[in-house]
Amino acid sequence: MKYMHTKLPDFYSKLVASAKQLNPDTEIEITGLESYKSAKLASLRCGRIEEEIMEVVEDPSVKKVEVIMVPNNPEVTFNSVVKGYRADGSCTKAVIDYLAVSGPTLEYHLIDAEEIVDRRTSRPQY
Amino acid sequence: MQTLKYRIIPEGAADGVVPLNWVFLDKKDIDAAGITDRQACELIAKELKDTCAAVNVMDMDGVTVTSDGIMADGAVAAIASVDHGFINHDFGFMPITPLPFTDQMLHDEPHMKQWLEDCYIGRKIYRGPLKEDRGERDSHNESMTLTGRIANNNVGSEAMNMVAMTEILIPFFGMYEVMTGGNVNIGIAGPVVSVGIGMVVSERYGRIFGSANLGAYKAGMTAHNSGKYAKTVKSDYPAIVAPKSVLAEYTLRAMDAGCVAGRDIGCSPAVLRLAQAYGKPIDLDNISKRAWIELESVGITRESLEKTVTPMSREEVIANADKIIPGMEDSKPYAVSDICQIKTLTF
Repeated sequence: MKYMHTKLPDFYSKLVASAKQLNPDTEIEITGLESYKSAKLASLRCGRIEEEIMEVVEDPSVKKVEVIMVPNNPEVTFNSVVKGYRADGSCTKAVIDYLAVSGPTLEYHLIDAEEIVDRRTSRPQY
Repeated sequence: MQTLKYRIIPEGAADGVVPLNWVFLDKKDIDAAGITDRQACELIAKELKDTCAAVNVMDMDGVTVTSDGIMADGAVAAIASVDHGFINHDFGFMPITPLPFTDQMLHDEPHMKQWLEDCYIGRKIYRGPLKEDRGERDSHNESMTLTGRIANNNVGSEAMNMVAMTEILIPFFGMYEVMTGGNVNIGIAGPVVSVGIGMVVSERYGRIFGSANLGAYKAGMTAHNSGKYAKTVKSDYPAIVAPKSVLAEYTLRAMDAGCVAGRDIGCSPAVLRLAQAYGKPIDLDNISKRAWIELESVGITRESLEKTVTPMSREEVIANADKIIPGMEDSKPYAVSDICQIKTLTF
């Protein structure tokens, strides 16, 4: 069970390895998870993404791969925590509230694709 | 070959003030074409090709309620966001199911007594989405559609480009003018409108707040609850609004139906000043301290509302609406025909 979720640094290194497996010069850019300093990711899905990278780089014309992580629900509610600190580093107070953050949906990242393959369950094929 | 008429306020309209495309469809035209509201929005998505737009489906035979509790002719029956021909499967379209009339609604939402007036009774009422309308949206999600860059929020009254980070507001009476080919004022919302937007009423399945439970913010309260910052939260965005005489006409109808400002309908600067001018009661004691802070930040003080003024007649209030209703003083008037194109697509 300890291997059911992948460490965030391992996720990045696995994706890079997959992209460079056929050609070490292939560039890869992974975006969308920059705010996470630590996280565990569903291993099964990580494996699928590694395989999907392989599928993309098998096309010899591909020189660069982008992996873009977009929240499925485009309106994400965050907890905000406002904290005050004294000079000695001790925390005086924390005020908690909500803040919804909305961003573009995945379609924004699909508009230049010649072919779209949707492997999510119960979703339309674009 | 079939056709579908649509109205579009294009990006750049109103001397460049409008930052994005906004499409309005008449439900009658959709029904006449024999297609669903979603199919009509999909046709718009294809028609606009490589651009994006907010889409409102309007039922002008229905009625709705503004966020401050004023009943209006016409309603938003569905909203959508379209971009590059796409509509996001789960979040790109949302129908708005008409609500049934219940005694509980009348009891818990006193502004709904307007629905019993001769001009509204028997007409379908659309406000916010039911649970089944919201689909995959979670409890925290607002009444929003999103596809690609474009968001259509609060049941079709705010649209945003999530990449350019632009936004424009269209309070309901602005939509009414668009659909009826009337006149609008377009300009920066400013601090008074920014404060007024937060002075809502409590509803189940409201256009902005409330689901199966009543919205937490009642008439006399502020949903913004932001103190002196309320006047800044929406102040920088452009807005498409109806002439103030139209806002006055409908607000006076609510007051004539027995709705008391600050108790049954919201305590927005417009409602309060209209009640004062029309000589109608204002429940000053029901307006919360937090709401007073926001009202005072834009010059609406309790003292000014307690001043004795000679009540105007309905006709006088409407004729003097521009002087009575504060806000958007720097906006520019446009005929809808100058900012909105009526087009027909074929399918």
